[in-house]
Amino acid sequence: MRRSSFPPYLVVGQGQLLGFPEADESPLTVEALAAALTDDFAIEFGPPSVVHGADLDTFDRRLGAAGFSLHHLSDPAGQQLVLIPPGAHAPLTMPVTNAHWPALVTALPAGAVRDELAPLVTIRALMVLDERDHRIRHGELRNEDQKILARLQLIEQAADAPAWLSVNPLRGYGGDTRRAVRLLTAAGFPPIRPVQVALTRNDTGVRQVRIERSAPAITLLVAAWSEHLAVMRANLPGVLDDVDTEFLHDFRVALRRTRSILKLGRAALPKDVSDRWEPDLKWLGDLTTPVRDLDVYELGLPEMAGWLKAAGPADLQTFAVQLRRHRSAARRTLVRGLRSARFRNVLSGWADVLADLAGPPPGQASGLTVGELANRSIGRAYRRVVRGGADIDQGTPAEALHSLRKRCKELRYALELFAPISDRAARKRVVADLKDLQDVLGRFQDADVQKQTLYRFAEQMREAHAPTKALLAMGELVSHLDADQQRARGEFDRAFARFSRPAGRTRIRLLRVGR
Amino acid sequence: MKVLAMYNIKGGVGKTTTAVNLAYLAAREGQRTLLWDLDPQAAATFLFRVRPRVKGGSRALLTRGRPLAAALKETDFEGLDLLPADFSYRNMDLELDDTKKRTRKLGQLISTLSGDYDMVFLDCPPSISLVSENVMRASDLLVVPLIPATLSLRTLDQLTGFVADAGGNQPQVKAFFSMADRRKRLHRQVIATLSADHPHVARTIVPALSIIEQMAERRAPVPAFAPRSRAAICYEQLWAEIRPT
Ligand SMILES: Nc1ncnc2c1ncn2[C@@H]1O[C@H](COP(=O)(O)OP(=O)(O)O)[C@@H](O)[C@H]1O
Ligand SMILES: [Mg+2]
Repeated sequence: MRRSSFPPYLVVGQGQLLGFPEADESPLTVEALAAALTDDFAIEFGPPSVVHGADLDTFDRRLGAAGFSLHHLSDPAGQQLVLIPPGAHAPLTMPVTNAHWPALVTALPAGAVRDELAPLVTIRALMVLDERDHRIRHGELRNEDQKILARLQLIEQAADAPAWLSVNPLRGYGGDTRRAVRLLTAAGFPPIRPVQVALTRNDTGVRQVRIERSAPAITLLVAAWSEHLAVMRANLPGVLDDVDTEFLHDFRVALRRTRSILKLGRAALPKDVSDRWEPDLKWLGDLTTPVRDLDVYELGLPEMAGWLKAAGPADLQTFAVQLRRHRSAARRTLVRGLRSARFRNVLSGWADVLADLAGPPPGQASGLTVGELANRSIGRAYRRVVRGGADIDQGTPAEALHSLRKRCKELRYALELFAPISDRAARKRVVADLKDLQDVLGRFQDADVQKQTLYRFAEQMREAHAPTKALLAMGELVSHLDADQQRARGEFDRAFARFSRPAGRTRIRLLRVGR
Repeated sequence: MKVLAMYNIKGGVGKTTTAVNLAYLAAREGQRTLLWDLDPQAAATFLFRVRPRVKGGSRALLTRGRPLAAALKETDFEGLDLLPADFSYRNMDLELDDTKKRTRKLGQLISTLSGDYDMVFLDCPPSISLVSENVMRASDLLVVPLIPATLSLRTLDQLTGFVADAGGNQPQVKAFFSMADRRKRLHRQVIATLSADHPHVARTIVPALSIIEQMAERRAPVPAFAPRSRAAICYEQLWAEIRPT
């Protein structure tokens, strides 16, 4: 049985849809249809026209996940966007001219389609995930008086794919049309239910690995690394083309996870692997940092504008322009780096290492099992957090909190890495407490770093003779950040106490021993 | 929603022809348009290739509460629907007489469709009757085709008097010369005397043209099958002049 999913966007705005998949033995042609009907009916078709259909979604399939599908249709008469909501809701359409993909939702013309898309898509770009041409012939079903009973569309995809006939009765002619449909059904063209074109799902999230505690630890490490390498590779084109900010973000998250596994897995790895690869991966991390930092500021601008009390949003204009300029420069460096031989070598070399580690013989790798490595790593990471936190009191300098944040991240990655073999409930509770602590430390450090960065920006602005108002607005931002930092500092003791309480310790023990 | 009735006590003056062509033009400019063929002879229904049949007849619509929407037929032209005539419409006067609001029943029925249409055209049978009284009450505009003849003025005066007497909602009245023949001296004379500055007479004149007679064979509005013909242009002018805003 051939696949016969009917693309519903092709009959948008018209009434009832009846479709006919091509019967396997007899092709669905104008002649075959005419032969199936009696003298009471006549059909006529015009010349074929080509409609190009492109399926759109964000890279991480936000529309698909919410049950929507979005299509860009173009034919010689014009172009439109068709948004099909979940359930039986009517599709929304919007005429477009010169649409170029990928595009941010803010680049679309205002209207109901954009209003519906904006909260789903947010900062991610819409891009073409799949496209195809349809040949469409418009026609009519008529009665003996030559009155039109229904409008017809004969829809063909590629030469060898099935064709469909869509039948849209005119108001008041449902009964007559049904008689004709019965004749067609009897001739071997049964109605089909319209099925939405399924966008091919290409999951970019981290997949959960299935593994036993007794399996060699290296198996788990390689599986996780391969997953992260795939994410980096998948996001790379979007980073290079600057499609939206999240490609770089996701790339960096995968890279950071890769590096933390290198650290966590050290005991289970052949000696030289960690030492050989850490510098290269750090280089890659450092290469991507400046653009990401500037992205964070740019994405944060609307929120920062809300912080201003004396100054107005317009006073941030100079800052915004400066950010844009810095970002362009940083992107040039980033792109140069990502197109360099060194980058290519790092990526392919790393892929080779994964292939080597995956295949037999296991080389000089230690015989550690997943369970043993989990016990070591989780225990060690947990103790480091507790010890680091206990050392902090009112007088401790900010650096100590920053380094504690790093330790928290390591623990978090360890919990993530060994999730496949750990007790779900216990892990969830530990992660919840850890998240709170990370949140406090994150706010503390981000505010600290941003204060210093804004200060540097302001200095550059002053040298470039920026308006006084622009500088004063920067001052307000710094003051807001300072208040944020103080607040986070004030919340630290409670968050840490919650994390390090005896119940947390018990759960960590549970995680180490396993189910 | 605006309601326009093609009205004249006489038959054969061009009411149906006007209703079909103007309704087509209204739909073509994007108005959601309905044409109700009230004449049991069903000429407008025929011109749109629709069968002159309404389930349950006029009785079902007038006295049994069958919704008008159930009897609607989409024509071959986008945005233009037809409420067909039925032979039973010849008894409409009697049925209206049986209803509670005997002079306002048609208007009530039409207003049930007010969310669905921008323009409603009524093609009326030639008579003075309870149906015409209902039409007066229901309409915003009476479009009156006149054949230029000695009695044209009298016909128009009778009509405006009738409208004034009808009470309640008073539609505007706009007459125009239909089937005018410049070769006939009488036509030229009547047009000259009547149309000079009569407030109820449109400037546009629709001459007698053979392509208009062809509508019966083509079973379609003139602007649909002969968009560049003089007849099509005349109806476009007439529509531009009288269309309610
Ligand atoms: N301007 C015209 N030129 C020629 N023939 C016309 C014209 N207007 C109407 N006719 C013809 O006159 C006849 C009567 O017209 P019709 O619109 O049916 O009148 P009514 O509805 O008032 O009875 C029809 O055969 C029609 O084709
Ligand atoms: Mg008539």
